[in-house]
Amino acid sequence: MEYLRPSSVDEAVGLLDSSRGMVLAGGTDACVYMAEGICSPETIIDIGHLDALRGIEIASSERVELIRIGACTTIAEVAASPVLPASLRQGAQAVGSPQIRNLGTIGGNVCNASPCGDTLTPLLTLDASFVLRSAQGTRAVQSREFFTGPKQTLLQPDEILKFIEIPLPACTWTSAFRMIGNRKGQAISQVNAAAGFCINDGVVSKVRVAVGSVAPVPLRLEALEQSLEGRGIDEINLEAIQELVLEGIRPIDDVRSTATYRQDVTVALVFDCLMACANQATEAAGIEGASS
Amino acid sequence: MRIQFTCNGKRVQLDAEPDARVIDLLREELGLTGTKEGCGRGECGACTILLDGKPVNACLLLAGKIIDREIQTIEGVAGADGGLHPIQEAFLDTGAVQCGFCTPGMILSTKALLEENARPEIAEIEEALSGNLCRCTGYGKIVDGVQEASRRMSAGDTGTNGEVAA
Repeated sequence: MEYLRPSSVDEAVGLLDSSRGMVLAGGTDACVYMAEGICSPETIIDIGHLDALRGIEIASSERVELIRIGACTTIAEVAASPVLPASLRQGAQAVGSPQIRNLGTIGGNVCNASPCGDTLTPLLTLDASFVLRSAQGTRAVQSREFFTGPKQTLLQPDEILKFIEIPLPACTWTSAFRMIGNRKGQAISQVNAAAGFCINDGVVSKVRVAVGSVAPVPLRLEALEQSLEGRGIDEINLEAIQELVLEGIRPIDDVRSTATYRQDVTVALVFDCLMACANQATEAAGIEGASS
Repeated sequence: MRIQFTCNGKRVQLDAEPDARVIDLLREELGLTGTKEGCGRGECGACTILLDGKPVNACLLLAGKIIDREIQTIEGVAGADGGLHPIQEAFLDTGAVQCGFCTPGMILSTKALLEENARPEIAEIEEALSGNLCRCTGYGKIVDGVQEASRRMSAGDTGTNGEVAA
């Protein structure tokens, strides 16, 4: 096996173009695949050490303000970042163990594209886009289009994920993430969910809901989002969301859980996320009211 | 592939296969067998080492990843004269060690925790150790050990190796 350690993004995509090797970021998934014999790459292109691919910054692009996360920023750094929305921090904190989070990267979580990846549902609800780079140029793909099947994405063999970009909403946006697994530490999600919305005078808008591990790809629940748009917080209850959650998902029986259990849990987790968003908004309004 | 890195405070240079795992370099090339291999899949934490001060799984780390970086293993926690670190003493005194296989990893996760948070709550200890499995299920005593280490280090105990505790 050949191990290449480029010193720049340009060099990395050049090497990828000529070798079509396997791109390595944190290596926490790749090392398991290699240990299991699931993959045995002839060439590895390690990009994990490239500073240009690390860090979290607020950036302006054309008309919008956005948060830009380097693909090789570790999951631990994402979980601890005060500038990121709550749902993404909570999703990152739910990944693996402290050891895994210190090595694993958000770009790796995205490109590995497991249907149960805990940063993916938050990224979908944040309208994230993925900036992909090849020797030929750069393109951006919306997160809702990026995932095409279990561990399958629109990323081409000659491309690397460079940045994840999250547009900053103009309104005050609250968000939350919830997952359920077999145990507290180290568990892979049987179901995960993320939600977020803007709230104004008790009325919600810009509603986003996504669920993971209940379909071949992490999913936005757009019918549910539309049905909640413009509603009062007090109108959001289990009955109001149940049907639209169940219509949106396609869970299966597998090694981690059953379809029936996943259906019940998905409804509960989505509701829990929405209530967590509502409570944050109420608390924030209370603090504002108290200080003014 | 020629790689150089710092291990337990010493500069190390060696030739490694590109797909060599750091757990194997430590155990086979450097003779540092305190780092244990349990699952080899990043699940159990027996191979925990510190990479630039942060706990990571040495079974998920390829040799190329530690170039120019600093790692610490359990052998670097005790003093050069074999004297123990206060975390090691506290683990012994509270009965936090049973078969001992998970202990090096537990000690290193504890060290990283206490360097960031000198007086952690029980929930914070459990979170910090959530990537370290103990098949003897001695978790209660291990949490006791971390709390005892926290108390001793906060009180200025330096252990028997003379290192000034963080």
